[in-house]
Amino acid sequence: MFKRKLTALDHPSPDNFSVNDEKQFRNLVVWLEDQKIRHYKIEDRKNLRDINSSEWPKVFRQYLDDLACPVHSESDNSAEYLEWLLSFSVKLEYGDNAEKFKNQTSDKVKKNELNTPKVVSQNPLDNLDFECADFKKGVNALAQLLNVTQHPDHLITLKAISKVVCQRLSAEALENPNTVIVKGKPFPFQEADLGFDMGDYVLNQAAKILRLLYIHNLRDLQTRINECIVAVQNVTADPKTDTKLGKVGK
Amino acid sequence: MVVRSYNDELKYLEKITPNCWRIKKGFQPNMNVEGVFYVNNHLEKLMLDELRNACRPGMVGGFLPGVKQIANVAALPGIVGRSVGLPDVHSGYGFAIGNMAAFDMGDPKSVVSPGGVGFDINCGVRLLRTNLHEKDVLPVKEQLAQSMFDHIPVGVGSKGIIPMNARDMEEALEMGMDWSLREGYIWAEDKEHCEEYGRMLNADPSKVSMRAKKRGLPQLGTLGAGNHYAEIQVVDEIYDKWAASKMGIEMKGQICVMIHSGSRGFGHQVATDALVQMEKAMKRDNIDTNDRQLACAHIHSTEGQDYLKAMAAAANFAWVNRSSMTFLSRQAFAKQFRMTPDDLDMHVIYDVSHNIAKVEEHMVDGKQRTLLVHRKGSTRAFPPHHPLIPVDYQLTGQPVLIGGTMGTCSYVLTGTEQGMQETFGSTCHGAGRALSRAKSRRNLDYQDVLNKLEEMGISIRVASPKLVMEEAPESYKNVTDVVDTCHAAGISKKCIKLRPIAVIKG
Repeated sequence: MFKRKLTALDHPSPDNFSVNDEKQFRNLVVWLEDQKIRHYKIEDRKNLRDINSSEWPKVFRQYLDDLACPVHSESDNSAEYLEWLLSFSVKLEYGDNAEKFKNQTSDKVKKNELNTPKVVSQNPLDNLDFECADFKKGVNALAQLLNVTQHPDHLITLKAISKVVCQRLSAEALENPNTVIVKGKPFPFQEADLGFDMGDYVLNQAAKILRLLYIHNLRDLQTRINECIVAVQNVTADPKTDTKLGKVGK
Repeated sequence: MVVRSYNDELKYLEKITPNCWRIKKGFQPNMNVEGVFYVNNHLEKLMLDELRNACRPGMVGGFLPGVKQIANVAALPGIVGRSVGLPDVHSGYGFAIGNMAAFDMGDPKSVVSPGGVGFDINCGVRLLRTNLHEKDVLPVKEQLAQSMFDHIPVGVGSKGIIPMNARDMEEALEMGMDWSLREGYIWAEDKEHCEEYGRMLNADPSKVSMRAKKRGLPQLGTLGAGNHYAEIQVVDEIYDKWAASKMGIEMKGQICVMIHSGSRGFGHQVATDALVQMEKAMKRDNIDTNDRQLACAHIHSTEGQDYLKAMAAAANFAWVNRSSMTFLSRQAFAKQFRMTPDDLDMHVIYDVSHNIAKVEEHMVDGKQRTLLVHRKGSTRAFPPHHPLIPVDYQLTGQPVLIGGTMGTCSYVLTGTEQGMQETFGSTCHGAGRALSRAKSRRNLDYQDVLNKLEEMGISIRVASPKLVMEEAPESYKNVTDVVDTCHAAGISKKCIKLRPIAVIKG
């Protein structure tokens, strides 16, 4: 139990932990606070560290309250608390290193597992000098070719180019351009109510553009939510009607 | 109630703009805030006549006039801003129908009142579009009306054709439209285009009485009676081309389907149960109101919380109900035109609730506050860019669906910033009664009503023809007056006008 989460947190002995051993349980709580959660200042951790004290369950409860733990269980040594504390620690750990972990999707992990025996070939891109004049010139030329507005920072221009290439010039997109070209009707958003006034024409214009970008993001999110619902519906849906049950009133 | 002559009463009313009247403190005892109501010349006359009639000596019984009810609501503990009467306001149980009122969640004295939500909890309107044109439908109008009538059970005592057992019901109460989605009755996009995404998260079926559940179970997927209906409508006028196009309405003559229904007997029972509980809570907590019908409880009391949880379950019931009828309407169209609902582009434009209480964030005196907003016969109308409206309507503002009366027209409005400031993002909900049901039955003949609809080229299918005079256009205020007033006052904006070509009714 908890092996995966303990491993993820670099616990020294993830294999041998037993939740039913009171001492191990308390030790782990202290370890989590010391190493991962660090909610209290070091000097305030004294009571929590005193794992042999009879007061410990009380201190532990206080600790959970201080962390705003939503779990409420009858027993003090509950695995539920530990489950929450571990998840919380994993969340913190992730938050600290979001950049490092965020690309670790299940597909990627699977791929990496398959690839482990092979030697990873050297990526030629790693050896590029992104700041040299030649590179900048190349980026700008590419931007011109693709009709992308150039930004003073060529790396931002590159990001924009990469977006265009990924969205519009991928193999699927080229095969089926209708799936990616946004079809919409023009909307006079200039006349639309912004909802507030920044007191400056240019700022208001900028705010309007931000609104549009936000709406665009939101639409993407909502579409993905809908796709998710449809995927679940494919499993659960079974609409039925039985006209025999029907009765028209008077 | 204070007894004054009509002219003395008028001293408390003041016309502040051509479309807006103020009700000053003192009009009714203990008013915490002022009242306000929106009218045009025509509706103003109806409003004031109602007050004048009530001032005549010897007038007792029946509901209080709408203005008095708005003022009594202004006297409830914890109310903030103003007690607002929308143009379609008319007397109801406790609160007038067409009254919205917001209560400060931070004030321990604030109340929640079932009368401020109404008996038909989460009664609302849903609009589906199609890519059909009037000329595609006219030749098969009668068949289509019959097919809709066969698919959607209507009338008092009707029973639904979607099989459900008690467990399904419990799940539906908790999950709202997520239940309909899970079971495959609706599309993922439907949820996106629905107030609250079709589910109130605080719903707790365990706070609902057995009796309510028993009443509700066989009624799921039925339209009900009264002013509820399903209509096949035609786009008659487009006022705001851009907003309409965001809703997928491109041309005059485009066919839409409007469903107006609520939580049936289930919501009624939830409200009745809560009123009993609240009368006790009022005594215990010493809550005083001007009118016994304004039974209420502190929001944070057990009774208040229980009601909100049960109300949320009833709201979920209503969404499942409208979703089931969406499914059935799509089936009816698909069979008639031998095309899939997808190919007919039968998307939900929006789904609004006009009998509900919701926790919302609003600006009050320049500060952001969390309020419990009661809307009874009043529709939420949030402005562009509000975080709680669907992404597709971020630029246009929330679509507001206004169902007309049988045989008249319906409207789609959009929310405005001004409405957000003046009426806590609320607007009218429909025509609003002008005659009581009893009076309509006395004064009108049902055959005349049916003949008149036929003359207008409207196919009609009713389960109980003898009740249609209650719903005849003559019994209601003119929906166009109501909508024009909201538009002129700036609390919402006209977008589309629809006229019916076929009506299915209880």
